[in-house]
Order: sequence, then structure tokens, then C-alpha cells
Amino acid sequence: MTTPAPPLIEFVGVSLRRNRELLLADVTFSIQPQTIHVIVGPNGAGKTTLLAALLGQAAFAGRIVAHWRGTGNIGFVPQAFSVDASLPVTVEDFLALTRQRLPVCFGVRPATRQRIATLLREVGLAGLETRPLSVLSGGELRRVLLAHALDPRPELLILDEPGAGLDERGVGRLEQVLADVKAAGTTVVMVSHDLDQVRRLADCVTVLDRSVIGQGAATETLALDHVRALLPSGVSRTGGAGSPERPPMARARSAGRSGH
Amino acid sequence: MSAFYAWVGGLAQNGLLPSDFQYPFLVRGFLCVLVLAPILGGLSHLVVTRRMAFFSAALGQAALTGVAIGLLLGEPLNAPYGGMFGFCLITTLGMVYVKRHSTLPPDTLIGVFHALTLGLGLCLLVLLTRQFNVHQVESVLFGSLLTVTDGDLLLLLAVGIVVAVLLVRQYNKLLLDSLSPPLASVAGAESAFLEYFFAILLTLSIVVSLKVIGALLVEALVLVPAASARNIARGTRQYFVWSVIVAFMAGVGGLGVSTRLLVPTGGAVVLAASAIFFLTLAIGRLARRRGSRAEQPDAG
Repeated sequence: MTTPAPPLIEFVGVSLRRNRELLLADVTFSIQPQTIHVIVGPNGAGKTTLLAALLGQAAFAGRIVAHWRGTGNIGFVPQAFSVDASLPVTVEDFLALTRQRLPVCFGVRPATRQRIATLLREVGLAGLETRPLSVLSGGELRRVLLAHALDPRPELLILDEPGAGLDERGVGRLEQVLADVKAAGTTVVMVSHDLDQVRRLADCVTVLDRSVIGQGAATETLALDHVRALLPSGVSRTGGAGSPERPPMARARSAGRSGH
Repeated sequence: MSAFYAWVGGLAQNGLLPSDFQYPFLVRGFLCVLVLAPILGGLSHLVVTRRMAFFSAALGQAALTGVAIGLLLGEPLNAPYGGMFGFCLITTLGMVYVKRHSTLPPDTLIGVFHALTLGLGLCLLVLLTRQFNVHQVESVLFGSLLTVTDGDLLLLLAVGIVVAVLLVRQYNKLLLDSLSPPLASVAGAESAFLEYFFAILLTLSIVVSLKVIGALLVEALVLVPAASARNIARGTRQYFVWSVIVAFMAGVGGLGVSTRLLVPTGGAVVLAASAIFFLTLAIGRLARRRGSRAEQPDAG
């Protein structure tokens, strides 16, 4: 008899307060490797806060333990990314920031340029290299962020409402990309308000309302009476309302963390 | 250095360089501009991207207070660097610390520091008038080429090299942190470190620039070059290059105006920078109008 493989990520009794308000209360659940794990919940349920804790960007009580099997690389697509309208930073400049040591103000190396072109093709944005970030549509910007998160290939890909602002075609491409990265061995953790998308994609769903109120396979979990009472029945592809998280206070990449 | 000035003077007398270069103080001023342009121009585009324009203004005021403290503590009138460096550094660290640990908006907090340092500076300047003629500190307030020494130039060069080397090593992380702190954090950048690091580099650069530009006007030279560059740049590389070019042109133009009209160097440099800003604003609008016309389908 073989012992089951440990989960990739374990949340053990994670609690988090901000300005004396309890945002997460004793959150305990685990995320299995090479799965798409979706966190759902109403606005203000603490989903983005939980991701901030996972990324080491918010202090918390309890433990978050990662059992890395490979590189431990983390890719992240944030919920909010606002660009100053007059900022002359192009898509290529942005993607080059973490892909070359040469300061981007001195130019982008040919090898980096090729790598970026490949990445943009992967997310359906070929030819947008010289476009300033400030003129991209919300959906294009989301896909640039996805491209950024996919390279180097992450062991854990964290997405905060990645479908927000995407049209039908963009959502389809996003779901294909997520299925591909999962097949390549990446574990995906995602916050989503689009329950149809959750049913299509998720291997496992955690329902959060400051604490975990349900977890399991998508169809069964979303059909539970107390979950249906909590979640809106309609599809909310534009979700993503709310303010961006405060700047990070700690590094994201570590094998195991505990806060207080 | 005198042999170098004599050699340059000889070239000027022979008509190989503009006649202004016969005067060592002007050669020194030109060399200062050569060093200042890449430092302040290079920093300025990050200052604007990181929204630290008001921070720079507060630092300029802090430098004024630092001068007063240095002079009251017995530093020489032409080089009160201890007071300036010390007080500006304390102010910088204080501003960044309070900004990171308070829930108030950053501009409100910096405004408090701005008022505090200005108030303290004014009180100390009044005390200072009991020891010095207040006109003697004018050069620090408004900048003056006549008071720039070879020592100042060497200090500027040394700090310039240190700032450039450190900036090159952290540039990509600084820019990513300006665009999205959470993404920078995931990429392994320490947001707190980067904020203190950049603020200290900015402080060093501002303090060594004061003899040329002046405490009241130095903020303009860490702001206007990037603002001008934004009007015409299409990409980060152009943004950086244009910032440096504008800083250099403003420096050289300001020097020329300052020596011919006998006005303070800092004021002349800032006027030149502002003129370039409005020129680039017009060029940028024209280019955008042409671009949008080209994109429109032919109506005829």
C-alpha cells in the first residue's frame, strides 16, 4: 500500500487581521499538485487576502507550508494593475524587466526579444511588442500579465480573477493555456467569480467566506445549499471590483512560511 | 586641474572652442553639467515613474535646513556638506519610514515633512544671520557657478559614479516595483529595500548638485527632464535617453544664459528646462495629431 503524495500547499489555521478587522479566520485546506484549484466566495470573503498571504505579501497567524517538487517558481497574475496613461513603457520593456540583467533603459537584448515574442504568441498577442502598456485594453493587459507569469514555467501559478475584462475568445484562450500548463505539471490556484468557468476548469473548489465553508469537486460543492445561498447564481465575468492589495511586505518565494 | 583649464583656455583662444571656455569657472561648470545630466536625467525618469516629485521638493527644502545646521556647527561656508548630507539623510529615512508605516496618503505625509523642514530651516536661517551675511548663503539657495570648486566637481564625479553603478544593478527591479509592487515581490525584489535604496540615491544626487543648481530649484531638475521626455518618448529606452538629453541641454543652456545675463545658474537652468518642456509638449501633441490622422480612414 502506498502513502498518498503530500499536497503542494497546506494552509493550517491561517488567520489575518487588518486594522483590527478579521479578514481570514482559521483557514485550513490544502492544494494538490498538478490540479486547478479555484477559490470562490462573495465580495469581501478574503480571497485576494488569502492569495496575498500565500505570496508572503501580508502578515498572518498560522502556517502556510509548501512541499515543492521542482523549481518552486511562482507565477502571479494580480487582480489590479493600473498603468499611468502617459507612461512610455512598452509591452516588450515590461516583459524584459525580469528576463534580462541589462537595464531595460539601455535596450532589450535580441535573445530576450525572441523569448518575449514566443510568450506573446502563446497568449495570442503576437505583434504587440512595441505597444505602450498604457494603451492596451483591460483584456490585453490581463494577457500580458499572464504571459509574464508563464515564464519561467512556474511550479505554482496564482491568478486573481484572470477572466476579468476578457471577451469570449480571450476566456477560451485563457482556459486552454491553463489546461496546457496543468498538463505540463504546473499547479494552478485561481480566484474566480465566473461559476460556469469554475465548473469547466476546476479540479477542486474551496468556498471561502473569511473561513472555509466548503471544499471538494466543483459541481458537487457549488450545488450545496449553504454555498448556493452565499454565491450569486449569475455569471460575473467582470468581477474584480475592489481595491488592489497593499504593497508586499515580504518575499513571496519560500518553501514554508508562518506568520503571526 | 589648472593645467587642464589652461589647455582648454588655449583651445578657446585659438577659436577651437567657444570663447566662454577661456574662463576656468565656466569649464568647471560645463564639466558639472556633463556629470549632472546623466545622474539627474537618469534618476528623473524613475522619480516621475515612482511618483516621487513631491518627495524631491521636500528634500530640496531639507537641504536648505541642512546648510543652516552645518554652518551653525562650524562647517565652512563654501562646503557645508556634513550638515546637508546628514540632515537630508535623516529626513529621507524619516519620510520613507513614516510613509511605509502610516495609512495616510504619501503626499500628506511628505507635506508634513516639507512644512517641518521649511519651518526649521527658516528659524535656523534667522539664527544664522547673527553670524553670516545672509547673502553669503544665496549660492546654496539658488546655485552659483562662481562658488563651485574643483573639490565640489570631484565629489560630484565620485557620487555620480557610485549612483550610476548602484542604479544599473537595481534598475529593472526598481522599474517593476514602480509598476506593480506585488509582481516585483514575486520576482524576488524587496519593496522596502528598493524604496529606501532609491530614496538614498536621490538624496546623495540632490545634495551634490546643490552648489550648481541651488536648494530651491534642484527639485525641478529631477522632475522636468522626465516630464519633457514623456511628451516625446515611445519606450523606456527613449524615455531614459531623452531625460538625459533634456537635462544636458537645460544645463548647457542655463550656463550660457547665466553667464551672459548674470543671473543665478539654478534659475537659468530651470528656465531652460521649462522651455524645453513646453517645446516637447507641443511636439508631442503634433506627433499624436499626425498619428491619429494617419490612422483615420480616408473620408473622400
